[in-house]
Amino acid sequence: MLARIAQELYWLGRDVTRAEHTARMLDGAFHADVAGGVEAGGADGSALARAGIALSWAGVLAVIGAKPPAPGEAGALPVAGTAPPSVAGPLGRAEIAPLLTLDTESPASVVSCVHRARERARTLRDVVSAEMWEALNSFYLSLARYDLEAALATGPYSVYQEVKERCALFWGLLEKTMLRDEARSFLDAGGRIEEADMVLRMLRVAIPAAAAEGQGEGEGEGEGESEGEAAREAEALALLQAVGGFQAFRRHLRRAPALSSVGRFLLYEAQYPGSVRASLEALRDALETADRAPRSAPPVLRLGRLIAELELQQRMAAVSEPLAASLARAADELELIDREIDERYFAVAAVAALHFER
Amino acid sequence: MLADTLIDGYAIPEGCYDELLAPGGEPRAHVAAMVQTLRRMGPQALLEAGRRRDTIFMQQGITFEVAGSDGARRDRPFPLDLVPRVLTAGEWTVIKRGLAQRIRALNAFVDDVYHAREIVRAGVVPWSLIVSRPSFARPVHGIRAPGGVYTHVSGCDLVRGGDGGWRVLEDNVRTPSGISYVLENRLAMTRLMPELFAGQRVRPVENYPSLLLEALQAVAPAPESEPTVVLWTPGPLNSAYFEHAFLAREMGIELVEASDLVVRDATCYMRTTAGLERVHTIYRRLDDDFIDPLAFRADSMLGVPGLVRAYRAGSVAIANAIGTGVADDKAIYHYVPEMIRFYLTEEPILENVPTYLLSDPKLRAWVLGRLHELVIKPTSESGGKGVFIGPQASAAELEREATLIEAEPELFIAQELVHLSTAPTETGDGRLAPRHVDLRPFALFGEEIRIVPGGLTRVALEQGSMIVNSSQGGGSKDTWVLADGDTHAEPGLPPGLAAREPPRLPDVRFGGWHGQAQQQQQGRRGAVATAADPLGQRPA
Amino acid sequence: MQFAIRYLSRYRYEADVADNINALRVRPASTSCQRLDDFTLRLTPDARQHRHEDYFGTDVVEFEVTRPHRELIIDALAHVTTEPAPAPSGSGWAQIAEDGYREAGTEFLMQTDDAPGHTLLAELRSAIDDAASPLDAVLLVAELIPGRLDYRKGATYVDSPLAHVLDIGAGVCQDFVHLGLNLLRARGIAARYVSGYLYTHSHNGDAAAGAHAAGQPSVEVDTHAWIEALIPQADERPRWVGVDPTNRGLAGERHVKIGHGRHYADVPPIRGIYRGPARSTLEASVTMTAL
Repeated sequence: MLARIAQELYWLGRDVTRAEHTARMLDGAFHADVAGGVEAGGADGSALARAGIALSWAGVLAVIGAKPPAPGEAGALPVAGTAPPSVAGPLGRAEIAPLLTLDTESPASVVSCVHRARERARTLRDVVSAEMWEALNSFYLSLARYDLEAALATGPYSVYQEVKERCALFWGLLEKTMLRDEARSFLDAGGRIEEADMVLRMLRVAIPAAAAEGQGEGEGEGEGESEGEAAREAEALALLQAVGGFQAFRRHLRRAPALSSVGRFLLYEAQYPGSVRASLEALRDALETADRAPRSAPPVLRLGRLIAELELQQRMAAVSEPLAASLARAADELELIDREIDERYFAVAAVAALHFER
Repeated sequence: MLADTLIDGYAIPEGCYDELLAPGGEPRAHVAAMVQTLRRMGPQALLEAGRRRDTIFMQQGITFEVAGSDGARRDRPFPLDLVPRVLTAGEWTVIKRGLAQRIRALNAFVDDVYHAREIVRAGVVPWSLIVSRPSFARPVHGIRAPGGVYTHVSGCDLVRGGDGGWRVLEDNVRTPSGISYVLENRLAMTRLMPELFAGQRVRPVENYPSLLLEALQAVAPAPESEPTVVLWTPGPLNSAYFEHAFLAREMGIELVEASDLVVRDATCYMRTTAGLERVHTIYRRLDDDFIDPLAFRADSMLGVPGLVRAYRAGSVAIANAIGTGVADDKAIYHYVPEMIRFYLTEEPILENVPTYLLSDPKLRAWVLGRLHELVIKPTSESGGKGVFIGPQASAAELEREATLIEAEPELFIAQELVHLSTAPTETGDGRLAPRHVDLRPFALFGEEIRIVPGGLTRVALEQGSMIVNSSQGGGSKDTWVLADGDTHAEPGLPPGLAAREPPRLPDVRFGGWHGQAQQQQQGRRGAVATAADPLGQRPA
Repeated sequence: MQFAIRYLSRYRYEADVADNINALRVRPASTSCQRLDDFTLRLTPDARQHRHEDYFGTDVVEFEVTRPHRELIIDALAHVTTEPAPAPSGSGWAQIAEDGYREAGTEFLMQTDDAPGHTLLAELRSAIDDAASPLDAVLLVAELIPGRLDYRKGATYVDSPLAHVLDIGAGVCQDFVHLGLNLLRARGIAARYVSGYLYTHSHNGDAAAGAHAAGQPSVEVDTHAWIEALIPQADERPRWVGVDPTNRGLAGERHVKIGHGRHYADVPPIRGIYRGPARSTLEASVTMTAL
């Protein structure tokens, strides 16, 4: 298929998933905020430091802000007119929630992601199904309806709920109505790599090295003494909320969520479709379908190695390296995979400026 | 007689042919059945269908932009009139033959202009007129199009004079648009007004995309393999993008933009996820000027550099061919009947509207004297741009036009005003009134010329207006060509396919508990269907 | 005369460029008074050459360099033999109104660029009205233009419109030719734009002659442009006569023709397009050696 179209599809998938995960993450941050885990003592960050967890508003911004810009995005920085979080003082809910939700000026906001997705779908109307286009179109129109101030003041739950539902509708319609062809594979690939990427970023922010070291496998059994445990559990809950796997986690492990077990679940668990590993496997499937010679395709080969590595780490958990190190390596590899996908399938579509000679 | 509310006050403009009522006032035979149905439905049903139409069109995005009275631009549903225009098989035969003849001549003319120039040497068309046309494409001089076909897709505009005879108003062999409306209109009509189709044998139009694809494949220089055909659009900002996407989808081919195409050596390729893939036929929907910056406008960034080289090498077919615009120029139009005689040695089946070239001083003086009766058109514009209608102009406007003509007479032509025929049209209150219409049938030229029955009927929705362009208050109509003969068998089920009920969730096997029948010793009354066999055995 | 002509252009790009596609019109034509003995074209990086003759009969070479590169060298070498054109006899104005003449002239009678109402243009046009014959008008144009316009490099661009040239009263040979074409066509004389090479320093007198006299037959020149006008002849069909408004006179055996068209855009020496960073530098030279 046309390289330009494939690239548009890939980024359509990424934009939809980015919108969904941004909404989930904000939902999670609100959850933690309301539960008292985030900004209790947030001014100096001491409470967070003690808990070893950084599911803060600034953390959320760090996850989104460091994302590479999509084609058609204004720039890498999400904050229009605001300095990056490292420079400015700690940003809170009042600044970040509006910025990342309904701010049309900020390219990282949920609305902007949906807007880009809709514009891409408009040019792809012959490639995606009519239902999918209509779903995205009404998605965008319904978001434009919201009164930002009011929604965020009364609790943004309904906004995020709608985003999640609409995204689910889009992927559901893809299942039901789109031809299983190359186009679908690229759309799928975009959604999957974005999902893996978002979850990885979230985990890396939420589970910094120190926290992961401190809380080994033994946590949750013998250290019921401190008030920190309740806070930690709240943090772990918020993390699950932010990625969206609470129910699955409970059904799978049947115990109270603790940070490292949640982290391991979200990174390794092949049975849970939102885990990094499951996303990577789906990404590999999509690329294998799209590629004419997948056995010699660099992104497919690299994916295979990464998946095998994750599987190995899961099995050898007890003697393996800290979770944070695994996360870092997976993130690096994923970046390379993205670059190789671009190189192998879309590079030919890149159009530089044309010039004339006389 | 129609002494009813449906056509109360149906007033046919003076001198016009009406397609509903014969001069005696009774409906023409071929529309009588349709009028019956409309009358039975009543004005309310028509209005109701109109509301459904607008809702559906808005939802599906079948809209166009219009500037409101406040200057703001907003989307409006494309105005499809709910009363079809009906043509008889006999009328259609004349149109079809006439168009096929005309298109063969235009195609021959394009070939001739860029090669032997026989028509010039024979003194039929002056060379100076040809080379002065902006659409005369010097870069394709001497290039013979694959298969010798240049005018693959054409859409000539036909009108019907006061005598009911068909005339060609304009030729269009560059990138005519409108076919998507023909197909969408038919689809919408079958949904909105299914009653109208009952008992009518309307010839189908849905196979246009397949015919188009066949025609494009037929000219592809790919003897050894299945040819790759693409549709080249200028992009989503083009006003006809909807149609480009529609046709690409219907044909199942790639919708490409300039950046997707590349020429290597003398072959055209498209950039795909698996590298470069050879392209054999390009159905392009943009003007010559923007095709290749090396050959045409150097400032065009839309083009594919080197494409003319590939075309010259014969490795790619371009539809319509580059340079066809010289054949549908409004000044060249004057010579089309002569072309038909010259190339085909036939008499034209369809007449031209009488047209006058203004470079001759004597003729010019005569035209200027009759300016208030004539229509003046700029030779190199299309879409109704710059058309001057004498009878509707003020004295000042007449004077200004005369000055323009005197300054550069070769940029204009004069035409006799045609009183466009009228067709019954729903006017917003559920009743019918006569409105002026034209007709643009679409012809395809691949191995042979094929024309889908009917075409796009455009209708001026304002009373008395003859401007049918949708940008200026025009709408369209579904156009029916009735099949010959009356025998019409209702298609039944093919043999061997008996009606069968769909499977249902079976009850629990053996069913619920039943009391054992008392063995009354009176014998059985008949077969019993069991729950496990829901279809049962039919009682004898 | 016999010449060796070397056309050399070197484009340097700031960074890698790709898909460099060009159409060259640098190959001398073969005409009744000019013979092309030999022509070679070398490209660096090497590329396949696609030749064809365009609508006006000019030889065109197209090529493309698709791989990334930072430099493009176009090196053409031609050997040409020329002889003087026979002197035009010329005849009266009556003939240019005849159908035969107008048919032969056709598109070279139509203006390609105009500056309606410009006073300088009106003045020049009225000066030509007095010419005794079409041939006289052509010679007059060749005198008038360099008299009223300054030859100044850099004052105009390749696509400067006529009105701009008239406004600033200066230009290069291309602008002189465009003005001459306008004047002649306005008077009903068919005239066409000729692209080629001239064995002289076109803008500062007789350097070439001096160089030749000094035993240095090689001169550095630029590509040149002049006019061919269709002149009715006393006893034969109208003939295209070359006239050079930059050098005040008829074109002769020092003029080597590449091709002609209605205006510059029909016969540019190079027309090209590439993908990559905007800036490039060009070193171009034409060296003519009398053999």
